[in-house]
Amino acid sequence: MIIAVSGKGGTGKTVIASLLVRSLAERNAYNILAIDSDPDSNLPEALGVSVERTIGDIREDLLEKRDNLPPGVSWRSQLEYEAMRAIVETQAFDLLSMGRPEGPGCYCAANHVLREIIDTFAKNYDYVVIDTEAGLEHLSRRTTQNVDVMLVVTDTSRRGITTAARIKELAEELKIKFKHIYVVINRATAETKERLEEYAREIGLEVIGVVPEDENVRRYDHEGKPLVELPPDTPALKAVREIAEKIVR
Amino acid sequence: MDEEIPVDVGLIYEGERIRKSNMYVDLAGPKSKGAELLLVVPKDEVEDGKVEVIGPDVDEMEEGGRYPLGIFVKVAGDKLEEDLEGVFERKLHYFCNYIQGFMHLNSRDIIWCRISKDSAKKGLKLYHVGKALIKLYKTEFDVIEKIQITFYTDDKAVDEHIARAREVYEKRDARASALKDEDVDVFYSCLLCQSFAPTHVCAITPSRSGGCGAVTWFEGRAAVKVDPNGPITEIPKGEVIDPIKGEFSGINEFVKEKSNGAIERVYLHSIFDYPHTSCGCFEAIAFYIPEVDGIGIVHRDFQGVTPFGIPFSTMAGQVGGGVQSQGFLGISIAYLRSPKFLQADGGWNRIVWMPSQLKERVREAIPEEMYEKIATELEASDLESLKDWLKQKQHPVLERLDEEAEEEAAEEETREQEAQPVATLPELTLPAQGMPIAGAPTEFTITFKNAKIYAEKVIIRRKG
Repeated sequence: MIIAVSGKGGTGKTVIASLLVRSLAERNAYNILAIDSDPDSNLPEALGVSVERTIGDIREDLLEKRDNLPPGVSWRSQLEYEAMRAIVETQAFDLLSMGRPEGPGCYCAANHVLREIIDTFAKNYDYVVIDTEAGLEHLSRRTTQNVDVMLVVTDTSRRGITTAARIKELAEELKIKFKHIYVVINRATAETKERLEEYAREIGLEVIGVVPEDENVRRYDHEGKPLVELPPDTPALKAVREIAEKIVR
Repeated sequence: MDEEIPVDVGLIYEGERIRKSNMYVDLAGPKSKGAELLLVVPKDEVEDGKVEVIGPDVDEMEEGGRYPLGIFVKVAGDKLEEDLEGVFERKLHYFCNYIQGFMHLNSRDIIWCRISKDSAKKGLKLYHVGKALIKLYKTEFDVIEKIQITFYTDDKAVDEHIARAREVYEKRDARASALKDEDVDVFYSCLLCQSFAPTHVCAITPSRSGGCGAVTWFEGRAAVKVDPNGPITEIPKGEVIDPIKGEFSGINEFVKEKSNGAIERVYLHSIFDYPHTSCGCFEAIAFYIPEVDGIGIVHRDFQGVTPFGIPFSTMAGQVGGGVQSQGFLGISIAYLRSPKFLQADGGWNRIVWMPSQLKERVREAIPEEMYEKIATELEASDLESLKDWLKQKQHPVLERLDEEAEEEAAEEETREQEAQPVATLPELTLPAQGMPIAGAPTEFTITFKNAKIYAEKVIIRRKG
């Protein structure tokens, strides 16, 4: 199952994505792949791993080297090998980082092949969690187009919910196929919760979960500590765990 | 498939990747070493069906361990030729991946394999992998009469195997690099760029790689095997119409069909008359400079301007989109290394300008006597300085230029007298239906304001 987590910068999208990875990993029953597809996010840090090479690095390398590759060597296989090498493997989950966006060269063929490779990789996992930017361009261009669940993370502003509706439209325009699209309201307080849920319903969005403001998350974020090390009973994690349960079911 | 092999073998396991947390052992790969090699040998050198493992087999390996791996396949048969070695060797990747719980990536001396915990628990050993491979090879290729496989996991044995394999790869590559358009019967085509250049049909031959540089003839061959219905397909070569210009009936027919009739003829190795269409993602542009009757080349990474005073990006905007542009051609960097590089136009003898960075990058492809004669942005930034440089260096285009100058001078005299418009109209509108303008809508009109019409001859016929 492929779960894409999107949302505007500052909504806490990466917090939700990393806690979702942790919630799924806690069950000790799944193969999980996290894909960092937003060059401005810091999913690896949130998950407490460091990335040496990204798909972007591999692609740039290839563009420089390929006209000197020996004729008997296929860069398609070479890419697959390098992509496998770029996966950070931990006991609980694997992580693949897409890296920076493209430069001025032509990436059609390279992206076409990379998408095939990543799709093949993704099939080997029970759950793939993609942290993607609000523009969704990376999602449509570089990773799989068949998303099972799209989570749109929003803050507690009315505008945030409107943005979520726009992301839904955008996904439809870009022909990203998804089975379900849900809104996650992040950093909610008791009084904002109901009002926002109602507004979301009014504009045709389904809210899958409301994640409360959490002092621990703020502190870990501030200190640069991996969010996967949050105490197991911290309110934000508990809320994301419930979201994970709904998705798994 | 066989009682001997403790796991399933089949196509459904293709694409299986083994995560580190599910892996029993890691073989070869980026943190170790390895190589695979397949050789065609005389029949008496093959013990048919034999599998040998030199070094520890899986049951003697430590769980979670990392070991080097060599795979050596020997095949024999009356109809087998050395040329098939590469193709058969490539099959190792696919066949290995049919085996449940065995992962195989890449080829040659950059392979990476893993055996899963589940399959190791079921008793899968390299010995069984060998047995399965033998069956798969024999089932798929009737021509293989005898086959024997040896695995190496012993450090020293792997080193020796890698050294032997590298010698063979080098020989094969030397043969493959010498491959020309005339040596093969089939070319390839890539339609990936049609999404933004609808009439662009990329013809890929041993002497011409795709404009983007990504798809070579060898890559095309590999891609067709992986995905026969993908964007890359075969083009039958057909008849050779012109070996120098690189015109083939098979390419013409294919291009006509796939461009919906917009493009009818293609010269692979010329930028004049019927040049190959340009997609938009080419790595460089070859452009004709009429003032010196030479050809310049500019690549995408070059930030400055060409002697025309425009940068790559501006030129690319005019050239791309899947049309044939007289005197302009989008090319790959690899094409500069082709022995047939613009051979119909004079090849390197016609090249007058290229950015210094590019010149350095393809240095070994430029004939020695030409290297010093080709100007870069350091010597010539405009047409005047280019002309001076070419004169100073006695560039071969000067000879052509002198001849042409004489002819033109003669022509100019006669032309002057005739240069009277046959008609002068404030406005002239033409329906453009049927006009061969690629990429344009089918029905539209062209309006000329203050048109002066010049013609060599005007024929007026009475109607009826």
